[in-house]
Amino acid sequence: MANIANTKEERSYDAIVIGSGISGGWSAKELCEKGLKTLVLERGRQVEHIKDYPTTNMYPWEFEHRNELPYQIQKDNPIVNRCYAFHEDSAHFFVKDDEQPYGQTKPFDWIRGYQVGGKSLLWARQTQRWSDFDFEGPLRDGFAVDWPIRYADLKPWYDYVERFAGIAGDKDGLPELPDGEFLPAYPLNVVEKYFKQTVENGFSPAKVISARCAHLSQPKQIHLDQGRVQCQNRTLCQRGCPFGGYFSSNASTLPWAAKTGNMTLRPDSVVHSILYDENKQKAIGVKVIDNKTKDEINFYADIIFVNAGAIATNLLLLNSISSRFPNGLGNDSDTLGKYVAFHNYSARIYAEYEGFQEYRTDGRNPAGGAYIPRFRNLHKQEMDYLRGYAAGFGANRMRSSDQSSYGIDLKESLLEPKWGAWGVSSHMMGETIPKKENQVTLDKSQKDKWGVPLLNFDIDYDENDEKMKEDYIDVMTEMFTEAGFINIRPDTRWQAPGLDIHEMGGARMGHDPKTSILNKWNQIHDCPNVFVTDGACMTSTSTQNPSLTYMAFSARSVDFAVQELKKRNL
Amino acid sequence: MDRRTAVKNMLIVAGGMVLIPSCLREEGGASIELSRINVSAKQEDLLADLVEALIPKTDTPGAKDLNLHLFVMKMVDDCHSPEDQEVFLQGLTQMNEGKKDFEAFWQKETEEGLSDFAKLVKNRAIQGYMNSEYVMKNELIYELIPGRYNGAYKIEEING
Repeated sequence: MANIANTKEERSYDAIVIGSGISGGWSAKELCEKGLKTLVLERGRQVEHIKDYPTTNMYPWEFEHRNELPYQIQKDNPIVNRCYAFHEDSAHFFVKDDEQPYGQTKPFDWIRGYQVGGKSLLWARQTQRWSDFDFEGPLRDGFAVDWPIRYADLKPWYDYVERFAGIAGDKDGLPELPDGEFLPAYPLNVVEKYFKQTVENGFSPAKVISARCAHLSQPKQIHLDQGRVQCQNRTLCQRGCPFGGYFSSNASTLPWAAKTGNMTLRPDSVVHSILYDENKQKAIGVKVIDNKTKDEINFYADIIFVNAGAIATNLLLLNSISSRFPNGLGNDSDTLGKYVAFHNYSARIYAEYEGFQEYRTDGRNPAGGAYIPRFRNLHKQEMDYLRGYAAGFGANRMRSSDQSSYGIDLKESLLEPKWGAWGVSSHMMGETIPKKENQVTLDKSQKDKWGVPLLNFDIDYDENDEKMKEDYIDVMTEMFTEAGFINIRPDTRWQAPGLDIHEMGGARMGHDPKTSILNKWNQIHDCPNVFVTDGACMTSTSTQNPSLTYMAFSARSVDFAVQELKKRNL
Repeated sequence: MDRRTAVKNMLIVAGGMVLIPSCLREEGGASIELSRINVSAKQEDLLADLVEALIPKTDTPGAKDLNLHLFVMKMVDDCHSPEDQEVFLQGLTQMNEGKKDFEAFWQKETEEGLSDFAKLVKNRAIQGYMNSEYVMKNELIYELIPGRYNGAYKIEEING
């Protein structure tokens, strides 16, 4: 077995990919397809598509606690318990609080999924492209550093990953949210359509579109070839999908990579650090702690792709110390771990609508409803805060019954629920400004069970986020009012950064090695055979859900790396 | 195989969910395994009557048929705080001391506003009922695999 090979030669590969989540799966697929013998290291356990989805076909009554988690589990896991998807049907895919503790100078909810496939099993599957309104943001508005790429650099790679992953969406013709290679969109329901008209008539330039999502609304041959079939509208995605109806590493990229015969997948392999050779002046491999035996094993490769997940990638680079890089691999600029940002999800709004009484929905919508692309400060600065927010919007009609009685009356009432008013809701997804002081650092005194220093978070909202949040509530209240929605209830409950699960940055891309870690190819400026294509690479956060962009970066970066390898530049 | 082993090997189905039987039943304990609360056989029977009065058997199964009292116990045992558990156990004890007219209990509670004990039992029993295999398969059908989405479905089409 290659996994436990003894000689250095047997532990040598053409490429190593650290992490098997949404970006690592793509790195693995691309490297393997290009013929490189690739070792994929995953710190968590094996999760094989379908076989390891234990709850996927369970009915509600088959769950011991009807999908509620026991009191003690909730009490022992205050952090992960705040995640909307952490329930009895999915708890086995989440990292529990005590598994990998971390410090919080300020509260940060670090939500992790350590297993083969990572959080690609659990994600919300929203896939909106970035545009130049996003890539030009830092330059135009004077924050962070200029992105070293523009939309044109990424466009062919968005096309490429969308065709393979399968993205449902409409061609909406919006420059702020470029169209792509879409499968048919999921329709807006009657109330969502009505809200779209209200908004587009009265609140220009705001738009309401069908949310684009990584679901096979109508699979093509390339998806069938992956063993995936049409999404069956179960909306039980967090359990893992037996149909491969949504995109995950497990259903898509990893089996594809395996089929080439070039992939060696090694679960239970915690990468402690990247090994740097002072003579060769490049990385030569990684030091792994076997999670089961706690043995230390080195693996070697010509190129290394870091896809551990934004924050875990920061931890790994910070912990990769050499005399050349005493403060973390590639950290000449002293920006590693800094300028970490996220999405401001700290406001939502709820209401009801009494129109369209003759309609309801039938079946379930995996896209979740509508998406409102950013419209604030889009063409020029116009508000008293920087950047803007996107928003989700959805309408649902539920049946409910009067439960005030008892006995036969209660029973009859329960079995004859009535269709109520439509419930409508929206949540904000705000761009936050990366700042030097929003950072993660290594705890010099405490180590985890793998001998890796604990990470400490010092990340917070700022005044810009507060202003944006107020504006979101004002605007949505106006839109809801105009639409005739009633019982409008803004919800501005604070939530810790991180709970958005859109943490980004810390090893940002940039033109200048003095102010950034990665170049325009996601390549570490001063250690060119190491590439970072997960969330850690992000120079700014935009408002779009970021996973699709990580996929595009991964495919693009592998293409470049392999060309460089062939030219013997690495 | 002696009777105790036979009982232990039998699985109890509560609302469609399989519970592990306890071996304490014959010694006056609950019939299912509980880890954080102690419920006597007597209290369990009383709870069964109490939830049966809430959701009685008609031409369709009632609370006892669906073992909803066991579901309530299981949820209180695993999913509630020690404070809630105290409310639950005290409520059962008080009921045991009072006269056992369960319809009168629900009538009084309904008229005067539900006590914490009644609220807990009622909410969990309704949850167990609505999510029971019987209701989800025969009354208000739960579809595991809808395979469709229509955002403009006319209600007249089904209700007439």
